[in-house]
Amino acid sequence: MDTQFLVSLSIILATFALYIGIAIYNKAKATSDFYVAGRGVPPIFNGMAIGADWMSAASFIGMAGTIMLLGYDGLAYIMGWTGGYLLLTFLLAPQLRKYGRYTVPDFIGDRFDSHTARVIAAICTIIISFTYSIGQLSGSGVVIGRLFEIDAKVGTMIGVVLIAFYAAFGGMKGITWTQVAQYIILIIAYLIPVIFMSLQLTGNPMPWISYGELVGKMGELDRELGISEYFAPFTNGTKWQFLALMFTLMAGTAGLPHVIVRFYTVSTMKAARWSGAWALLFIGLLYLSAPAYSAFSRFILMTKVAGSKITELPAWTKTWVDTGKLQVADGNGDGVLQWSELIISNDIVVMATPEIANLGMFVIGLVAAGAMAAALSTAGGLMIAISSSFAHDIYYRVLKPNATEKKRLSVARWSIVLATLFAGLIALNPPGAITQIVAWAFALATGTFFPALVLGVWWKRSNSQGVIAGLLVGLGVTLAYIFAAKYGGFTILGIIDTGAGVFGAAAAFAANIIVSLMTPAPSQKIQDEVMDLRYPEQMVYKNGDVWMNDDGSKSV
Amino acid sequence: MKKIDKKVADSYFREKTRNMVIYFIVWFLVSYGVVLFAEPLSEFTINGFPLHYFMGAQGAVITFIILLFVNAKLGDAIDRKYGIDEEKNKQISSGKVLDH
Repeated sequence: MDTQFLVSLSIILATFALYIGIAIYNKAKATSDFYVAGRGVPPIFNGMAIGADWMSAASFIGMAGTIMLLGYDGLAYIMGWTGGYLLLTFLLAPQLRKYGRYTVPDFIGDRFDSHTARVIAAICTIIISFTYSIGQLSGSGVVIGRLFEIDAKVGTMIGVVLIAFYAAFGGMKGITWTQVAQYIILIIAYLIPVIFMSLQLTGNPMPWISYGELVGKMGELDRELGISEYFAPFTNGTKWQFLALMFTLMAGTAGLPHVIVRFYTVSTMKAARWSGAWALLFIGLLYLSAPAYSAFSRFILMTKVAGSKITELPAWTKTWVDTGKLQVADGNGDGVLQWSELIISNDIVVMATPEIANLGMFVIGLVAAGAMAAALSTAGGLMIAISSSFAHDIYYRVLKPNATEKKRLSVARWSIVLATLFAGLIALNPPGAITQIVAWAFALATGTFFPALVLGVWWKRSNSQGVIAGLLVGLGVTLAYIFAAKYGGFTILGIIDTGAGVFGAAAAFAANIIVSLMTPAPSQKIQDEVMDLRYPEQMVYKNGDVWMNDDGSKSV
Repeated sequence: MKKIDKKVADSYFREKTRNMVIYFIVWFLVSYGVVLFAEPLSEFTINGFPLHYFMGAQGAVITFIILLFVNAKLGDAIDRKYGIDEEKNKQISSGKVLDH
């Protein structure tokens, strides 16, 4: 038990106490003003809550490391995970808000008037959220593994227990304000190390402005070492892979069930618009800093660590070698650690950097707490998406329509526990780096929900047969491509597993449109409901006419 | 409830769609467009960064944020122009809010 362990653990526990305290305070308050009309979280705070829900272990722990190792090619993650908010906020969020259902399978089931489509959508939600949660668990394993100085696998097991408890008993409802707190912790924990590193290396407290010159300098160092320059484009994949990955991440953002659900908590279409804008501003703060993080870490590793004697490596290397995510082997036996002999996993860059840059115990502890906030808040949202798909959309709406509320709650809790355990088992031997696993979840969302929702909202002719065909074809093509590319070495234009969504989406759009046109049009009522989504709440579309609702009554 | 001219409602929808198409063109140019021409753009430098790197790491993200705020602001202006009252919208959609 060294001091670092105690400091990190107390910061993590203090932040947990804060989240639980806020949740309890709000739960007590919620019962009293439950029926007050127009309550709802102001868009600016909803934006922060979306940010916390959105920024997972992949963004917090994995992304900077991925960019550090991939150079320019890693920036597909930055543009992909931010640009998707435009698709979401323009094409889907306000319209889905006006339609007013509680889950994505609910929207698909009612819009297409089909139980089959509802069940398929629920299964897709479970598959997507499940894949995503493997990445979160593997991220919490890195944090906990470092904290207790144990193998990341044991850390993952501890994370499983934590997340199962957190999601099953804690964050069911009323968690918006908890997430606001999680966002604030998370962003402070991310920005402090970058700002300090910027001061250390460049003397400028604004990392966003100062790291440009380092990027240029590293290009020179790379040329001396005879490796490709840090900023050279397409050195780790083709241009098509970059574009396909970027599209997959963007469209996946607009199709992720646990993100869309957040837009049901806002009061109106206008609030949905503003929430999307605030959310991207808050998310952008982290995403603009991640490439700076990567540049500073790489610069320190290249100039201060590589080239030192293998017997005189700084103390932090020892603890990270123990987690199994860092290798420092003197390959050519000259007693000096060369840049090429340092093998660092994507997933530890953010966690290790405060130690590498010697930023002190408090900052190291704070980063651990921020990483836990990122993993927990997203895992909570994912587990709720899984349990509501199973307990609400499949069990209650289809299998047992007269199940009691108590029975449904216990089904929901058990599905969370089982899903977490199962995801944890897979995360013990993660099939890829955190960002890669999460990219598969985005590919699946791109191949299934993105086409289904876009056509469902914007094309009234899309019908149940079409959406069923689209979901199944999209899911099949995306899964097949991920497996074929990852394990079979099959690629088209150099597009690897993480870019699979582009093929899934193309196939799903085609299947949905062709099958819809070959089968009868949906009922007039459904077509009217889709037309109605073009207008704000106050305008109502009925039988080819538009009505202005001035009395504000709900009987429209 | 009073009926309004379908043409008015249609022009509301057209104005919003036209803006959206413009946003998406800008969105496409700063992300996909820059990637497509990454090699020639890397000849230029901005603030120490090669231009293609700057756009990927900062330029595109900042443009996205600006576009979303422009959309929110102009969306409000279009609503006002067509006499949409946000308070009425809140009343109409209350009860459809998910307690989360």
